[in-house]
Amino acid sequence: MAQKLFSALAGIGIALGMGAVILVIEGRQPFEVYGALAALSLGDADKLAITLKNAVPLILTGLSASLAFASGPVNLGQPGQFLMGALAATLVGISVDLPAPLMVPLLIAAALAGGAMWAGVAALLRHAFNMSEFIVTLMLNSVAELFTAWLITIDGPLAEAGALSPRSPAIASGGRLGDIGEFNISIVVMALAALAIWYVFHRTRAGYEWRIAGQNTLFARLGGCPVDRNFFIVMLLSGALAGLAGGLLVMSGTYRLIRGIGANYAWDGVMIAVVANSALAATVLYGMFFAALQTGALGMELLTAVPSEFIQVLQAVIVLVSVASRGYLSALLDRLALRRLHRHSAIARQ
Amino acid sequence: MSDLIDLRHITKTFPPNVTALDDVSVSFQAGEIHAVVGENGAGKSTLMKVLYGLQRADRGEIVLRGQPVRFNAANDAIAAGIGMVHQEILLIPEYTVWQNVVLGAEPRARWGALDTRQARQRVRSKIDAFGLNLDPDALVGDISIAARQKVEILKLLYRNVAVLILDEPTAVLTPLEVPQLFEELRRLRDSGKTILFVSHHLEEVLELSDRVTVLRRGRKVDTVPAASTSKSDLARMMVGRELLFTTRRAARPPGEVVLRINNLSLRDGRQINRLRDVNLEVRAEEIVGIAGVEGNGQFELVNAIIGLIQPDAGAICVNGHDLTRAPILERRRHIAFVAQDRGRMGASVNASIAENAIMTHHRLNEAFSRRRWRLDMRQAAAFAERVRDQFAVAMSRADQPFRALSGGNQQKVILGRELLLDRPFLLLDQPTRGLDVGSTEYVREQMLSQRDARRAILLISSDLEELFSVADRIAVMHRGEIVADTPIERASLEQVGYWMLQGRDGSAGLTGGSTGSPTGGSTGSPTGGSTGSPPRSADAAGAVA
Repeated sequence: MAQKLFSALAGIGIALGMGAVILVIEGRQPFEVYGALAALSLGDADKLAITLKNAVPLILTGLSASLAFASGPVNLGQPGQFLMGALAATLVGISVDLPAPLMVPLLIAAALAGGAMWAGVAALLRHAFNMSEFIVTLMLNSVAELFTAWLITIDGPLAEAGALSPRSPAIASGGRLGDIGEFNISIVVMALAALAIWYVFHRTRAGYEWRIAGQNTLFARLGGCPVDRNFFIVMLLSGALAGLAGGLLVMSGTYRLIRGIGANYAWDGVMIAVVANSALAATVLYGMFFAALQTGALGMELLTAVPSEFIQVLQAVIVLVSVASRGYLSALLDRLALRRLHRHSAIARQ
Repeated sequence: MSDLIDLRHITKTFPPNVTALDDVSVSFQAGEIHAVVGENGAGKSTLMKVLYGLQRADRGEIVLRGQPVRFNAANDAIAAGIGMVHQEILLIPEYTVWQNVVLGAEPRARWGALDTRQARQRVRSKIDAFGLNLDPDALVGDISIAARQKVEILKLLYRNVAVLILDEPTAVLTPLEVPQLFEELRRLRDSGKTILFVSHHLEEVLELSDRVTVLRRGRKVDTVPAASTSKSDLARMMVGRELLFTTRRAARPPGEVVLRINNLSLRDGRQINRLRDVNLEVRAEEIVGIAGVEGNGQFELVNAIIGLIQPDAGAICVNGHDLTRAPILERRRHIAFVAQDRGRMGASVNASIAENAIMTHHRLNEAFSRRRWRLDMRQAAAFAERVRDQFAVAMSRADQPFRALSGGNQQKVILGRELLLDRPFLLLDQPTRGLDVGSTEYVREQMLSQRDARRAILLISSDLEELFSVADRIAVMHRGEIVADTPIERASLEQVGYWMLQGRDGSAGLTGGSTGSPTGGSTGSPTGGSTGSPPRSADAAGAVA
């Protein structure tokens, strides 16, 4: 466990080092740039609050991908499920007006259902026609994107009357998530969802069956696990997490469906899951880390004149380094442990 | 003869603290067949991998023809004249024999194009030079496993190696294919090649090799000339103690029918019959062995019983419960199952030992199902420790990954898990495959004691000696049919061998005497029920050993 954590952190360290080399070649001061990044994403409660809020969709789509990958299904439909969750929350939010204590859970449920439904389509197609969820979820992304775009296009069925840009009417005020102090309530919802999914995955019978099936489906099937039903449930849950990400973004930021909502998060979830090797806790950590990078990027650009695109370079380097070094680092650590053992036994012999 | 290869003080430790080789020194002479034997985990494969450059030794040196050498990769070893044939055969089925052989070392024509004619010719001449019975133009996908193994050997001969390392070459062969391989290996030796041969089949070792090196737990025990040793000597050196021979106690007659299979038929996607009208009964307190050349329907029979495939016709009942169309979980209420492929079917090697130990129990064992949807990993660890204590598993902690266990200990965990399910019927598919002598012995003891605990056991094995040493009845499968079903004491090794290869006609090949009766299987054991128990004597096992 400690070793796993260490290789994860070492991956980040190596990536930052390589980023520093790039910065030096560009004639910049790496410490200054990283300092600005850190200060502007984690510097005070205010900035931390923004980072955490930005982390919400990253972590939820990341968990969506990690849960699926670790349990077997290859759900690459986070962008589409995100949009359908956002759409469902918006639809309910503009057609119902209830006090916040009722409205918030209702919209959250709608977002969960929207994402689950979209993933469920892929699961059903696999069940009925043995169509690979890998392809279907990917293609449903485009369907969801075009469908939501059409709904809110000017004069579209869900467009706000008289709006100058493609967008839906705003949701009722009861469904809007405010702040507790500096921190947006969507952070709390995300944390609860992350805890819940971690508990289910690691502490329940169902989670055990998902984990085993994710490693060796045939073994799980022979052991009596209902792997087909589990596949379905995991797909729905994975979709629900991505849908929740979309719903929370609507409820805490835009208050409506707008063109291109979530486009920034489209593939970040899969990326984070890959970097985290589909481990749930690591997904949360990496989600926060990437959110910090993205949050600090703008301010860094202002302070140091390093273009914020540098963060995208850094992200890509982190992905490559962490994936490439995963096997190598643990082998290295094993070897170090071995050397220590040899030394100990040599001492013991004396 | 002079020393061709000298391995000196080879030490290899795998992180974190598994010592695979501990100061091993062996020398191999030119033109000998040298067997390296030992239990699983004794270090024989590691030693060969170090020699072949697949693994680097921590200490020690390799001296080849008097020169210290250091191989960083298999290609270095091949360039130095040392080649290895692995257990798994890695060929391209869509390519012909000669295409596979030249792959990676193709003769070039102008512009770097493949010189087809020359390539074919060179392969042809190697085949002729070493008298291998191979057609260079056959598609590898069409030829037998034995022939593919020959292609692997040919690949190395084509690269002009002087030393051939064979890792368990007979594991993939049928009994009748082994003598041919041995004959060809002897011919290679006589033409000056050195052959290093890893095995734990002692008969084969004694028959084939000139000298034998025995490893035990990473250390060399001794190197002895094969002519001056015996099977029991080698076994003692390998295990470090005398092997206890199982006594087969005279048991009560078998009880009521537990497994009943009626007219089971199965066709595959190409409408080829995989199972043809299979009828089989296994009674309580009885071990029924299924013999057959691999690929004659045994795997399909196992899969149909456990529920991975649906038969086209017929019925499967355990203790009167019709399981023909039942979901797997329902079947597991009645069936304990040890699959032939540990890593693929019997376990998840990356999961922890505890997670592997509680499979099926997590749903069907009351201790776990009382909590319904929660799963307590401490309880799982405690259960794994129970498996460890009851089945003598060598492991330190239940949260270690399953793959950290040796093959024998993995199988003990799997066997323990299944036996603790406490089911009336045990389906054991090749339960001792790939296990060392000690673990094999252990698994067989467990089978016998389970039989004596009134369980019904169906044992599928490609090891005829195993069937003859534990089974009470033996059924032979040939092309999806049960062509013979006979009490063990009425069967002979030769007769069963003929049935395996020739089907029903096999009985025509031998005359009268001790042959069993091919029944077509419908009545199960012809004598078992009515005339009381056939005597289960140690002779049956003794006669073939």
